[in-house]
Amino acid sequence: MSMLKTLLPSFALLRSRWLGCPLALMLTSTWALAQDKRWGPGEPASDYGDRFYDLFWLITILVSVAFALVVVLLVIPVLRDRARPGHRASFDHGKSLHDKRLTAIISIVTFIVLDAWVLVIAMKDLREAYWAIPDAKDPQTYRVEVLAQQWAWNFRATGVDGEFGTADDILTINELVVPLNRPVSFNMTSKDVIHALFLPEMRLKRDVNPGAINEAWFKPIKEGDFTILCAELCGFAHYQMYGKLVVLEQGQFNEWEAEASRLASTAFDADDTEAHWAWDWQE
Amino acid sequence: MSSDHIHPEPTTFLRKHVFSTDHKVIAKQFLWFGLIWLGIGGIMAMMLRWQLANPGVPVPLLGGLLFPRTGGVIDPASYNTLFTMHGTIMIFLGLTPAMIGALGNWCIPLMIGARDMIFPTLNMLSFWAMFAGGAVGFYSLFVPLGATEAGWTGYPTLSTTVGGVGQGETLWAIAVFLIGASSIMGGINYITTVIRLRAPGMSWMRLPLTVWGLFLTSILNVLFVPVIGSAMILLVLDRVFGTSFYVPASIMSGGTGGDPILYQHLFWIFGHPEVYILILPAWGVVCDLLSFFARKPAFGYRTSVGSMVVITVLSAVVYGHHMFTTGLSAMLGESFMLLTMIISVPAEVLFFNWLHTLWKGSLRLTTPMLFAMSVIFVFGLGGLTGIYLATIGTDIFLHDTYFVVGHFHLTMAASALFGTFGAVYFWFPKMFGRMMSEKLGKWHFWLSFVPLVIVFCIMFISGYAGMPRRYYDHTSVEYLRPLQHLNVATSVAAFLLGAAQLIFVFNFIKSRWWGKPAPQNPWDVGTLDWTIETPVPHYNFKTIPVVQCGPHEFSNPVLGPDTDWIYQTEKLPD
Amino acid sequence: MNTTGTIELHGDAPVDHAPRETGRDRVNATLGMILFIGSWTMAFGTLLLSFLVLRDKIAVWPPAGIALPSAPIAGFATLVLAASSVFVERASRSLALAPAVGADRRASFSSLWITGMLLGLGFALLQAWLWYDLILAGRTQTSGLYESLFFGLTWVHAAHVLVGLSLLGWALVGSKRGRYGPARRSFISNAALFWHFVGIVWLFLFLGFFVF
Ligand code: HEM
Ligand SMILES: [Cu+2]
Ligand SMILES: [Cu+2]
Repeated sequence: MSMLKTLLPSFALLRSRWLGCPLALMLTSTWALAQDKRWGPGEPASDYGDRFYDLFWLITILVSVAFALVVVLLVIPVLRDRARPGHRASFDHGKSLHDKRLTAIISIVTFIVLDAWVLVIAMKDLREAYWAIPDAKDPQTYRVEVLAQQWAWNFRATGVDGEFGTADDILTINELVVPLNRPVSFNMTSKDVIHALFLPEMRLKRDVNPGAINEAWFKPIKEGDFTILCAELCGFAHYQMYGKLVVLEQGQFNEWEAEASRLASTAFDADDTEAHWAWDWQE
Repeated sequence: MSSDHIHPEPTTFLRKHVFSTDHKVIAKQFLWFGLIWLGIGGIMAMMLRWQLANPGVPVPLLGGLLFPRTGGVIDPASYNTLFTMHGTIMIFLGLTPAMIGALGNWCIPLMIGARDMIFPTLNMLSFWAMFAGGAVGFYSLFVPLGATEAGWTGYPTLSTTVGGVGQGETLWAIAVFLIGASSIMGGINYITTVIRLRAPGMSWMRLPLTVWGLFLTSILNVLFVPVIGSAMILLVLDRVFGTSFYVPASIMSGGTGGDPILYQHLFWIFGHPEVYILILPAWGVVCDLLSFFARKPAFGYRTSVGSMVVITVLSAVVYGHHMFTTGLSAMLGESFMLLTMIISVPAEVLFFNWLHTLWKGSLRLTTPMLFAMSVIFVFGLGGLTGIYLATIGTDIFLHDTYFVVGHFHLTMAASALFGTFGAVYFWFPKMFGRMMSEKLGKWHFWLSFVPLVIVFCIMFISGYAGMPRRYYDHTSVEYLRPLQHLNVATSVAAFLLGAAQLIFVFNFIKSRWWGKPAPQNPWDVGTLDWTIETPVPHYNFKTIPVVQCGPHEFSNPVLGPDTDWIYQTEKLPD
Repeated sequence: MNTTGTIELHGDAPVDHAPRETGRDRVNATLGMILFIGSWTMAFGTLLLSFLVLRDKIAVWPPAGIALPSAPIAGFATLVLAASSVFVERASRSLALAPAVGADRRASFSSLWITGMLLGLGFALLQAWLWYDLILAGRTQTSGLYESLFFGLTWVHAAHVLVGLSLLGWALVGSKRGRYGPARRSFISNAALFWHFVGIVWLFLFLGFFVF
């Protein structure tokens, strides 16, 4: 709703519905087109982010060839074989052994070229990257517990003591700070409905289900501010359930962590049961 | 009693036009019903596109009427209602009746040489159950505590009382249930009719492929619609009676609870076959129309049938590809990925056969033919982009983005819709006894085809650029704001597409009442429906025909140089 | 019935000249019913699948320390429903076996069929008793997952019991009025089929809740 409030005044002039709307369409399109445009997801900021790019474009090339073939085979008859006086279609039921063999060969070859190839790479990517959840006992692994709710992201990090459920746990809302070049591992669940953690620059997406804990991980390789989105319909403010992911270089991160941990300990309120949602790390 | 017998013609208006048991009347009822709902769902799509291109700007014309509280602006909750109902309506109340209800009722008896469906009363019930479903769904928009907002997939716990969506969700579930009941009744009728009432000589391998498509669809309907029916029952129990099938223990106040993911499994066990439920009749129609208008036999009839059968079977075991990000185990994920990719083998066979049917034909580019050929194009695009989504590595990023929206609109929405259009243009003369305007038809085709491809192809770009679907406003997020030009472009093309449908409406209405009277067989096609006079008499066939040859004996050299086709009731000269 | 499919019109007026049911009609009706039951098997299969999945979420099965539905009553209800099916089936067959025999057969049909229906009604009462007992013990469908499953699934099943009983009743009335009889018995045999299906579903529910 706040979005509405900020946008509406700028269109106050155009509130006369009949005249204003066609006009508004043109204005907004110009306005939108004047923004700096983007045609792709941007540079990946995680170490496995390139895999998406590579696989996507590999598939695109394969698929384009296949589709171009279809279009050519569609267009040639249209140009060449149109009905005209004196022209008769060739009579062919396509029942001969030769036809069947051709059908089989073409579909199997396309399957191998189009699907099997992609499948093999995808399996490799899954094993080596997406599903290779880092070892939680490795001190390098930065662990984060995520509790989603309508409509906010609650993050919990262990703080300096390395334990969840203690006074120095760092709790943040809609903002997550992680160290550069270390694997970040998530344990995620939801308070109410299904959400999905979507870190577009990291090429990470995973549903966050109530009543179950889902895991996911990524390793940031770029410093800076990135995007956190929700990618599963979770109610009317779904589109506003976004946040900021901050990647800090290790030295800065340590400073931030120490300070945040200290603040958390001082602010810790043993009676505030709402804030004690931590769980034992699951693998 | 026996269905080969001739029932006396009803005399009262009510029995003749409203509670009719005549398959031809029911077909028309389904057609009108479906087209009207396609219109309503289409207007909803236009409103969605308006909001996406102009976030927070009042909707022109309809806004003040529909959203008076916000001065004509779609509010976020209403936006959710709109896409939920758009999806539900298009699938269950638009394409299902227009494609399966109308086409099935019209084509099956006439093309297999039967006097009616085998269970005429069940047939009538099927229409009225669908009608009731539509009425409940429509009413759900206006219940005081809010309409449904949980998406056409209706995932719990959002769709349970936990999620805070409107009370209309319950009615939505009931509507889906009723429509499902209608589909099952229709399916049972179609299957039994095809098995039992084929005219003498109409062997399985002489059936027009349209009938094959409808037959296989009916099997899927009978087997998988009950699954969603049960899922909806559990959802209603959770919502109304406070059970906890889908609500996990962590949310229930008492210690034990159910599982929201269970619903996703049930939904997609149905949901994936549902895609094929919509597309199989379209494939059948395309197979036939390509052959009819290329004046060539359908290439590889048997392999086409075979691949449709294989796809029907496989469609039951690939549903998991909708749940790759849900948290499937690695083993399940990989199995579903492999199974899904295997589907491309029979699909390739179909493509191969379609293209081969056109090759060296004698193409008559009529409106139905154009629509049929466009299905090859559109389904090709949709099917090939499915590979990105079947591949988990890319699906992780693309899931629930506009890439998916583009993909499923091309495969199921556009292909089934264009198949339906082709079928309507093709059978209109037999149905209503008048010709539709070819000129307007071609305008309609080109002005639909081009914008449609633009609309959904831009969505691939948006999705690749990371734009999530089901978002009320993409400009509120910094990361998405630079994509707004894509939204605007999509919407402009979508409005064109929407406007082009007015040509169809005009053509349909005008031709229905004022069109040129149709000859008995305007397309020179030999299937049984064209052997009878127009308008089709109450009992269809005076004498049950005896079938002598297949449906696609076009340009057979034995026919001699003067004609290139033959009725199925005629014997091929030696 | 002419099977070659050449049925001529009588003059101009199309008439229905087949008050009797042919063997072909019977096959049609049975096939339709089998498809219907296939469809409903998927529906109940879905519920049973859900049952199995959700049952896994309950640590101890059956849950300890709370009031449970009475297994002896449920067992007795199972027997009653099975007996009901037997009577209904015998009644239905009595029509098929001797279609030529007239009123006398119909009488035996009625008594068998009515016995079957009464047993079915008995099952419904026992089912109500099961619910009532549990509610008296303070357990309702909202109490927990076990109760959700028990009440939810038995409600859906009970709805089918009511539909089944109505079909049986409709068949009975029809046979009394002469609408159904040895020469037109598809409706009756289909109602019986449906009733057996309802019984089989119960058997699975019984096994799921009380045996395994
Ligand atoms: C006529 C052109 C159409 C346009 C411009 C259009 C546009 C849209 C838009 C903008 C959405 C919302 C996407 C989102 O936010 O996730 C949507 C969703 C959807 N559309 Fe369409 N649509 C069209 C036709 C159809 C047809 C014919 C069908 C029939 C199958 C269909 C089925 C759906 C479904 C199932 C959804 C998903 C709803 C949901 O997310 O719950 N659409 N469409
Ligand atoms: Cu969300
Ligand atoms: Cu699918």
